[in-house]
Amino acid sequence: MTDQEHLERAYRRLLAWYPREFRRENEQEILAVLMADAPDGQRRPGLAESADLIRSGLWLRLRPSVPRSARTVRAAVKLMYAGAAVSTVNLIMLMALIGDAKAYHAMLGYHLTAAQVSQLTTLFITVAIVWALVPIALWLWMARACGRGRNWARIVSTVLFGVATLDLTGAFGPPGFRLSLALTVFGPTISVLYWLVGLAVVWLLWRPSSKAFFRPPGYTQAQHQAQMAESDHQAQMAELARIRTRLPRHV
Amino acid sequence: MATRAMQEATFMILTALADGAQHGYGIITDVRDISGGRVRLRAGTLYMALDRLRADELITVDREEVVDGRLRRYYRLTPAGTKLLADEAAWLQAHAAVALRRLDLAGGMAT
Repeated sequence: MTDQEHLERAYRRLLAWYPREFRRENEQEILAVLMADAPDGQRRPGLAESADLIRSGLWLRLRPSVPRSARTVRAAVKLMYAGAAVSTVNLIMLMALIGDAKAYHAMLGYHLTAAQVSQLTTLFITVAIVWALVPIALWLWMARACGRGRNWARIVSTVLFGVATLDLTGAFGPPGFRLSLALTVFGPTISVLYWLVGLAVVWLLWRPSSKAFFRPPGYTQAQHQAQMAESDHQAQMAELARIRTRLPRHV
Repeated sequence: MATRAMQEATFMILTALADGAQHGYGIITDVRDISGGRVRLRAGTLYMALDRLRADELITVDREEVVDGRLRRYYRLTPAGTKLLADEAAWLQAHAAVALRRLDLAGGMAT
């Protein structure tokens, strides 16, 4: 294998960090730029260069692809990421509290053997962590799907907000019981602020200015572009027809 | 839109496209030249920026060519991109003018 082939193969591996859709469209071009920029005899990508490719690849995977024109949707997506961040803090604090619960169990004994106590706390910890991961996953999922203009995501977000609202008021069980949609470890002030984030998201998603961004289900970017091209084509045909009518008969 | 300072990489990319369409590698070499070698765009940064600028409809694909079996895409500014760059340049110029004037008044940079 020549140096060049070796280097190109290494670059291709790094480009795996990029989203597939982006790669399909741009891989050839980026490779050409990378190869053109590499000094002769280089066999492997530099450290800084690799870091730059990985960083931008990850960023492209995470960032919302909302155009600047859809300002309300952009704001909603940002707020959803903020919601995910608050849920993450909730998870971290929960894990800290679980440490206490473990000590508490051990202290009380509950007439359980040490093995039973550790089994119980392991199960408890696992369930609590998985439970606290749910809202983080939901926020991220909704942010991503809404950021891609999926109309169902707008509806699901709204339904989730409704459930979270009922959850906050304790509609789903005995006092103190919560689905994972409402925060578990914070006091009422933070919980209400968290709920307000959800309210703002729903409000933004249903503003008239968000409407254009959300296309009907099954409507893809490719279809959108095809439709745009089609209307361009129709405009050109209409223009041609108009010109033809102006031409003298015998042409 | 919000008047927030543009990132240098973005500013340089738009500047590189200001007098005509260029392809990716052309932008990198042009930005290097414009900045006297100070700003060296990396491919990852460039394509991340190009992707965002396209999403924001500040630039668009001008044409595509195949050179040595590889796709080469040329980008150009949209009217919105031209306006944004002009606004940003004027804003930077105004700030730079104030800075230079004050330095001059203070006598620090007087030559």
